[in-house]
Amino acid sequence: MRSSKTRLAVLATLAALPTAAVAYTAVAPYPSTVSATTYYSSGTYHGAVDVANSRCNYWGAETGVSATVYWNVTVRTSGVVCNGNGSGNQNEALLNLGSGWSFRQWHWIKTSDSYDRTCNRCQVGNLGGTGNATGPHSHFQKDQYGTKNTSWYSSYTTKGEALDRGELMGYI
Amino acid sequence: MNRRHLPVWVSLWLSSSPCLAAGAPDASVSRAPEPRAQACSVEGLMDSIRRGLQSGSPAYQRYLRELLKESAVTLPEAALREAFERETAPVMVEHLAAALAARTDRGEGVETLRLVAKRALGDADPAVRAAATRALRRTSAEEHTGDMYQRLVRDASPEVRAEAATNLIEDNQYVYAGAHGPASDVAVAAAVASSDPAVTARILGNISTAPISAESAQRIHALVDSDDARVRAAAVTALGGVPAAQMERARQVLATRYRDETDVGVRSAILQGLARLGFSSAIPELRRLRGVDPRLTGEADAWIQALSTGLQEWSLLLREKQRVGQAH
Repeated sequence: MRSSKTRLAVLATLAALPTAAVAYTAVAPYPSTVSATTYYSSGTYHGAVDVANSRCNYWGAETGVSATVYWNVTVRTSGVVCNGNGSGNQNEALLNLGSGWSFRQWHWIKTSDSYDRTCNRCQVGNLGGTGNATGPHSHFQKDQYGTKNTSWYSSYTTKGEALDRGELMGYI
Repeated sequence: MNRRHLPVWVSLWLSSSPCLAAGAPDASVSRAPEPRAQACSVEGLMDSIRRGLQSGSPAYQRYLRELLKESAVTLPEAALREAFERETAPVMVEHLAAALAARTDRGEGVETLRLVAKRALGDADPAVRAAATRALRRTSAEEHTGDMYQRLVRDASPEVRAEAATNLIEDNQYVYAGAHGPASDVAVAAAVASSDPAVTARILGNISTAPISAESAQRIHALVDSDDARVRAAAVTALGGVPAAQMERARQVLATRYRDETDVGVRSAILQGLARLGFSSAIPELRRLRGVDPRLTGEADAWIQALSTGLQEWSLLLREKQRVGQAH
């Protein structure tokens, strides 16, 4: 006969289903300056962090999370684009955070490293300006079902701040 | 700052860190010596870790582990490999193995990670095998080590089997967010391969099965008839989360199984599985089953009440069900 202790142990095991969210450290992908955060200079809502460096296709664009995670890499533009080629054409590395949450890294230039990969701060491309961009930069956005979240960076980085590669941008 | 006021372990570190050493102390003044830079070395970092292990500070020990992992990409690979192969103390093996795995995850090639896998599978000391296995947690090991986890879950040491199960669960959640099919398939394959019911149940009860293949779903179905109640409960829990293409069969199997099952824990897990598979459309099935086992009538009612709210997120439904359960 199975004891009630065994049954309770089974239930306790099942109750421990992993549902808690985990915080990762978001870091700069190359030496850069924060060029935009919640609002552009024009006052238009942005809701994300842009970090820029003028040396297009020179710096490797490392994935901006300091942890080993799986990146879903989407290449929409194959050529070298530094100053934009139209909204929706940005190359993207996407980190699925569960429950509809995503963390996205946009605008890099495709290289031989641009493929789905599980890694910690590895290169997925080079610094560039694919998609909706006026210059080479990286756009970091956290959203849930498309709605942007700003709390991950709002206490940790500000526009104009100089960042070294691997320096803290926020916590996602 | 007066160095005499620093904790002992901080003073030890300042005077002996392989990467940032303090200058010679001046006995005539109380001012702390200026730090001066030195090149990092594998041996120096290992000495720091050995001293850190005596500090009694878990935070300092974690710091030293991270320091070695972060340094791994710039340290000479040959020196790191030699130190790892020479080392026999499990705690030091774990630190060095974590550093070797970190090299791979930072894009330096898979050979160093495979070296750790080789030791996790083949070292004569079970404590070393367990340590090497722990070092592979939350890394890309599942993608580069073939059937390693299917072999680890059959290890003679229960400690190694438990560490392997923890790796699969944490990788599934923290590396792949429960959304990567191949990772979930690796976990299911390992759960099925294990001859330890506790390991099988722990893996299946704690991974996301949302992206699994039809083949993996079939493997889980086979475990619903296991002799071990823990395995049956975990298998029906896992079936509750299968992808859309597998849902109809899972619903039929769970509903049929509920009537044949005798264990109350497994029956409770079946109710949860049915609720998860159907959300509000599971209510008619739950009403049909609520009278089968008088011990679980309240449980079925709690699920019916929670599902009647029309919530569309499983995490919210789980929370609502818990709230309903506490309210009664």
